[in-house]
Amino acid sequence: MQLTPSPRRLLTRRRLLQAGISGTGLLLGGCGTSLFSRQLNQVFEPVNQQVEEWMLRPQAPVPEYAVSAIEPDKLLINTFDFTPQIDPAAFQLTIDGAVERPQRLSLADLQAMPLTSMVIRHVCVEGWAAIVQWGGVRLQDLAALVQPRPEARYVYFESADGYYESWDLPSVLHPQTLMAYQKNGEPLPVQNGAPLRLAAPIKLGYKQSKWVTSITFTPQLMERQGYWEDRGYEWFAGL
Amino acid sequence: MTTQSRKRPAVPKQALLAKAFHWVNIISLLLMMTSGLQIYNANPVFGGRAGWHFPDFFLLGGWLAGGRHWHFAMMWIFSLNLLLYGLYIFITRRWKRRFVSTSDIQVLQAGQNPKRKAYSWHRLVYTAIIPVLLLAIASGLSMYKPAQLHWLSGLFINWQILRTVHFITVPIVVLFAFVHSLLALKVGQIRLVKSMFT
Repeated sequence: MQLTPSPRRLLTRRRLLQAGISGTGLLLGGCGTSLFSRQLNQVFEPVNQQVEEWMLRPQAPVPEYAVSAIEPDKLLINTFDFTPQIDPAAFQLTIDGAVERPQRLSLADLQAMPLTSMVIRHVCVEGWAAIVQWGGVRLQDLAALVQPRPEARYVYFESADGYYESWDLPSVLHPQTLMAYQKNGEPLPVQNGAPLRLAAPIKLGYKQSKWVTSITFTPQLMERQGYWEDRGYEWFAGL
Repeated sequence: MTTQSRKRPAVPKQALLAKAFHWVNIISLLLMMTSGLQIYNANPVFGGRAGWHFPDFFLLGGWLAGGRHWHFAMMWIFSLNLLLYGLYIFITRRWKRRFVSTSDIQVLQAGQNPKRKAYSWHRLVYTAIIPVLLLAIASGLSMYKPAQLHWLSGLFINWQILRTVHFITVPIVVLFAFVHSLLALKVGQIRLVKSMFT
C-alpha cells in the first residue's frame, strides 16, 4: 500500500492552514453531531434558562404595535397532527390542579370576562415572525378566578389535538399572556386554534398551544413537558 | 541586531492571549456559522420555505433543535472570548498599537511604499471585522430575545431586516477570512501566519 501517504505528511501545518475553514466544516458537519448536540444542551440549557428567567420582567408589558402594522399573510400555520373541529356551543375549558376553586368555563363565560387586545410580534422557532392582533382573556384573570395554591409553580395546557405544553408560572401570569378567541379583530379561525388558544409576546410559537381544552396548575414539572420539548426543543423558550 | 537575525529574518512573536483569542474565535465562529445555517434552513431568510437551502455539508446539529443547541451554547464561548479580548486590548493599550491608526489611513491615501501599504491594509481589515462581530452579537440578541430586548431589536426596523443583517455577517466573515489570510501572507509570509497559530 505505497499509494497512501503517511498521515504525518498529509497533515503538515501548512496544509492544515490551507485547508482552513472548509476542512473543519467537514469534520464538524458530519453525521453524529446531532447526537452530540443533546449532551451539549444538557450543559447549556440550564445556563440559558437561568438567564431567560432573569431577563423576564414578569409584570412589564412588551411594547405593542399599531393596528396598521399587522401582517396578516405572515402568520404561517404549523400543526403537529390534525385540525380538530370543536363545537363552540359545547366547548368547555377546564381549569384545575393546585388551585382553590377549579372551574369549568364555557365560551360565553370567557367572553363575559374582560377582553384584552394586543398587537404583538409572534415569533416562530423556525425563524419567521408576524405581527398579529390577539384578543382574549388574561391568564392572570383566570388565575384570580381559580386561585392557585402557593405550591403551584407550573401550568400545563392540554389541547384537543393531543398537543400539550407546560409553562413557568411567572410567564403565565404576565399581563400579555392570553387565552385568545380573536385574531386580527375577527373571531379566531379554526386553523389558528379556535375556539381558544394561548397567545403571548414572551414565548416562542410552539409554546402557544392551539385548541386548548384544559389548564392545570402543578407544583412540579413532570417528565412530559411539551410535545416539541419532549422531542428535543428548549423548554423555557422565552423571547 | 545580531548576525543571526540578519541571516534569517526573526520569527514574529505573538502574545499568548492574542493567540488564544484567535484560536477560540476561529473555532467558535465556525460552530456559530454552521449551526446558524442549520437554523437558517428551517425558514430561509430569502424566500421563506420555498427559498434556497444550504447543503448539508455546511450544517451543524442535524436538525433545527440540534442547530439551536449548538448556536445557543457556542454564543457564550464566542461572545465571552470577544469580551475578554476587548478587556485585554484596553488594559494593555494594545488597541493603540496593534489596530488601524491615522498613520495607516495616511499611508493608504498617499503612501508610496507597497510593503507599508499592504501592512496598513492588513491592519485596516482586521480592525474592521470587530464591529461586524459586534453587529452579529447585537442582531443575534435582538432575534433571541426580541421581547425583553425590544429597544435593541427595534433598531433593526423590522424582522426581515434584522434577519438579513444577522445572516449577512456570515458571508462577511468568510470573505474576511480569505482577505485576512492573503494579507497576512503578503505582509509577513507564512512566518507571520505560523506565529499566530503556534
